[in-house]
Amino acid sequence: MRRTMLQSVFLYSCVVALALFTIAPLLWLVTMSISAPTDLTEVPLRWIPSEFDFSRYGALLNIDGGSGERFLSALRNSILTAGGATVIALMLAIPAAYSFSRRGASMVLLFAFLATIMMPPITYILPLYSTFSAFGMLNKTTTLIIVYTAMLLPFATWLMKANIDVLPVEVEQAAFMEGASTSYTIRTVVLPLALPAIAATAMLSFLVAWDEFFYALIFTNDLSAKTLPVAIADFSAGRVTDYGVIASVGVMATLPPAILAICFQKFIVSGLVAGSVKG
Amino acid sequence: MPENQILSVESLQKTYGDVHVLKDINVAMEPGEFLVLVGPSGCGKSTLLSCISGLTEVSSGTIRIAGRDCTHMEPANRDIAMVFQSYALFPNMSVERNIGFGLEVRKVAEAEKKAKVSEVADLLKIEHLLQRRPAELSGGQRQRVAMGRALVRDPKLFLFDEPLSNLDAKLRVTMRTEIKRIHQATGASIVYVTHDQIEAMTLATRIVVMKDGVVQQIGTPHEIYNKPVNAFVADFMGAPSMNLMKGKATPEEGHIRLEIPTPQGRSVSLIDRKTPSQSFRNGPQDVLIGLRPEAMTDQKLSNGSALQSAECLLEVVEPAGADTYAVIHLGETEAIARLSADAPVQAGEMSSITFDLSKVSYFDISSGNRL
Amino acid sequence: MFGRRRKQEKWILLAPAILVLALITLIPLANTFWLSFTDTRISAIPSPVRFIGLENYIYALTDPEFREALYRTLYFTIVSVGLEGILGVAVAVLLNQKFRGHLILRALIILPWAVPTIVNAVAWRLIYHPDYGALNSLLFQLGLISDYRSWIGDPATAMNMVILADVWKNFPLVAYVALAALQTVPADLNKAAAIEGAGPWKRFWSITLPWIMGPLMVVMVLRTIEAFRVFDIIYVMTGGGPADSTKTASFYVYQEYFNYLRSGSGASYAVLVAGISAVLILFYYSSAKRQATGATA
Repeated sequence: MRRTMLQSVFLYSCVVALALFTIAPLLWLVTMSISAPTDLTEVPLRWIPSEFDFSRYGALLNIDGGSGERFLSALRNSILTAGGATVIALMLAIPAAYSFSRRGASMVLLFAFLATIMMPPITYILPLYSTFSAFGMLNKTTTLIIVYTAMLLPFATWLMKANIDVLPVEVEQAAFMEGASTSYTIRTVVLPLALPAIAATAMLSFLVAWDEFFYALIFTNDLSAKTLPVAIADFSAGRVTDYGVIASVGVMATLPPAILAICFQKFIVSGLVAGSVKG
Repeated sequence: MPENQILSVESLQKTYGDVHVLKDINVAMEPGEFLVLVGPSGCGKSTLLSCISGLTEVSSGTIRIAGRDCTHMEPANRDIAMVFQSYALFPNMSVERNIGFGLEVRKVAEAEKKAKVSEVADLLKIEHLLQRRPAELSGGQRQRVAMGRALVRDPKLFLFDEPLSNLDAKLRVTMRTEIKRIHQATGASIVYVTHDQIEAMTLATRIVVMKDGVVQQIGTPHEIYNKPVNAFVADFMGAPSMNLMKGKATPEEGHIRLEIPTPQGRSVSLIDRKTPSQSFRNGPQDVLIGLRPEAMTDQKLSNGSALQSAECLLEVVEPAGADTYAVIHLGETEAIARLSADAPVQAGEMSSITFDLSKVSYFDISSGNRL
Repeated sequence: MFGRRRKQEKWILLAPAILVLALITLIPLANTFWLSFTDTRISAIPSPVRFIGLENYIYALTDPEFREALYRTLYFTIVSVGLEGILGVAVAVLLNQKFRGHLILRALIILPWAVPTIVNAVAWRLIYHPDYGALNSLLFQLGLISDYRSWIGDPATAMNMVILADVWKNFPLVAYVALAALQTVPADLNKAAAIEGAGPWKRFWSITLPWIMGPLMVVMVLRTIEAFRVFDIIYVMTGGGPADSTKTASFYVYQEYFNYLRSGSGASYAVLVAGISAVLILFYYSSAKRQATGATA
């Protein structure tokens, strides 16, 4: 259908408005991170920095500096925690998903799995806190990995199940007919076929773990285990006079998920849509 | 006796909830036979094959393969191989690994595996494809690989689940011949499921016709074609199918007199010169008279004594190349006559049709059973 | 695959997942439930646990502050999910049009979703800053306000400002789901309606919206469940303040546990919040199930 002039104007105004609404906050965050400290305290603000100042990034990446040490150790903890939990969650989720998809495990049980992550974390936090405290496991990356595994597991199982469902069952039957065991079939036939799904699930799981704040806030208390979200909350609550520092930490924490999201957009969006809609 | 049977299915039942899919199936098969299970969709033929393979658990009954009771055995332990409708090749593996997968699982030594794979590839003429992935193959080539995977282990029994239904018409004929050639070359015992009655007729040494979970008839293609046990089998097997005309059969001294009504008001009257069987003892009765299209023709047939002629109105004339088919309204049905290709006939005209009653079948009008 | 082995395998494959979930969620849930009937406190010196029956619940249900917190949570949930729904559908409709750069814009929309929740909260806190915030400066320079305001320091606006930040981060999810649904609307349907004389507005309400309603409902309920347990953004942006104006249920429980160290009483609040969540979750399943069966029909 042809658009009239008026319709075009309206359409493109909406487009511009949406684009601005979407990227302006991010653009401003980036701008703050490279503005001179004095630019950020002008009233009214100076929108275009008087000079580009990348020194904050340099400081963040310098392990010997105060903020650098805090940032880099948080980055390391975040990568270890999110990465570790993603790997373990997938290792548990794939067999479980296979059971739901091909061994007739009850859907009610899968719903129960999903219900556990839909519950507010405050429901679980205190007994977990007491238990971990009793075993001397507070402030440990391992502890967060265990908790995040449980947090990622239901969604990963669910996504993998949906993906195994659509694989041709005859291929597996053929493997069984040829004498392969279930675990051999999963390893040599199902996993290679499900590789794209596994990658998508792993990415989404990683992003969820990367984003997690509440458990990390409660279970960690120093550089040895604090993850990026907790470190950022600290930065922002602390008596930092240069807001550009906070902005630069924010930008750094956003880069990995943003890059993943942009590069693997198709994967991630289809995973998100499937994950939130299909029953 | 069961010892020399390669497969025996006894009193097999399969139900899914309230649905009775297989009802008291009894089938036995000698080594080297090519047994085709055929029937319309939903008749239970695929479920039966699936029960034999062990992919589906039976509700009751017994399945023996080469004399061993396999009813509750895992598929892998039954010494069988299966060719799937979708071929079910492993997409992530080369053709060579696909064919050798069963040997790989059984930890057969590399050299022996290689030798066996290449032997089978040679038989199937796919040596040049061994390093390819399934996605790089044509439908017919995939079909061959699937057969190769089944053949390489040299199992007691082969199961084929509608293996040709995903191919185009031309390739289907080629592969049909290929399967027949492999059967003849290897002497393998094959159970083959299809809904295509031509496939059944051309491939089978024996055919099992099924409908609604019940075996209708087991017999050689010749028996099934010429002596169908009921109207369903008569109608299902053969293309075009057997004409089933309603008519009156009157037993007389040494022969049966048939009256087949036409819409024009008069009847076609024929004499079947056979001594009436026991079924016709009770005097005149309405029956279904089964005659295949080739038994209603314009041609001179050799068995003179059984031939009868009658003038019939040809409603539609369909030239089909080698033959010409003519539709004749007879016995409350549209009977099809098979005329010679150059028969000088036209739709709407009366023509003399020769009926060959040596191959006539009679069916009970209500039960459909053969009389 | 045969009966017994199939069944064995089913449980063997599930066992590790069930074990982890039982340890990290099921047992703590039961434990929280038990705690809610006691007067336990968090302290270095273990004190004897006393069973006090429904006392915590009676207190919680009559506690006006908790009720306030629940109302605030409800307000936050309804307004932010409502806005996300409206904005999400509008954006999806826009992205479903063909215009120059529509693929770029479609890709861009994922960015707010990718921003970590905490970064989002920090960024908006900076934007709302009473002295040097971008919002103040922008509105001032545009002449829309004459004085700088303390957007999240004022109880009257704080919650709405938090909601705006939350909507910015979460509308892409709704938009993507709505867009995916929009792309399944048969073009013929719209053409037929256009030929019948239905204008674009009418077509949207009578064809497009009903068509995408199923998936939209599911994602909105999912967002409702998430919004209802809101904590992170509140913690960073306002800390529940000012004057408790952004103190939501989760935050309330958090304080009861970790500021006042009353674990027994905190647990009873937690159980009540969990109960409401459970109702929402059941609602999610019924809408997701309806969607699933509707999709196959």
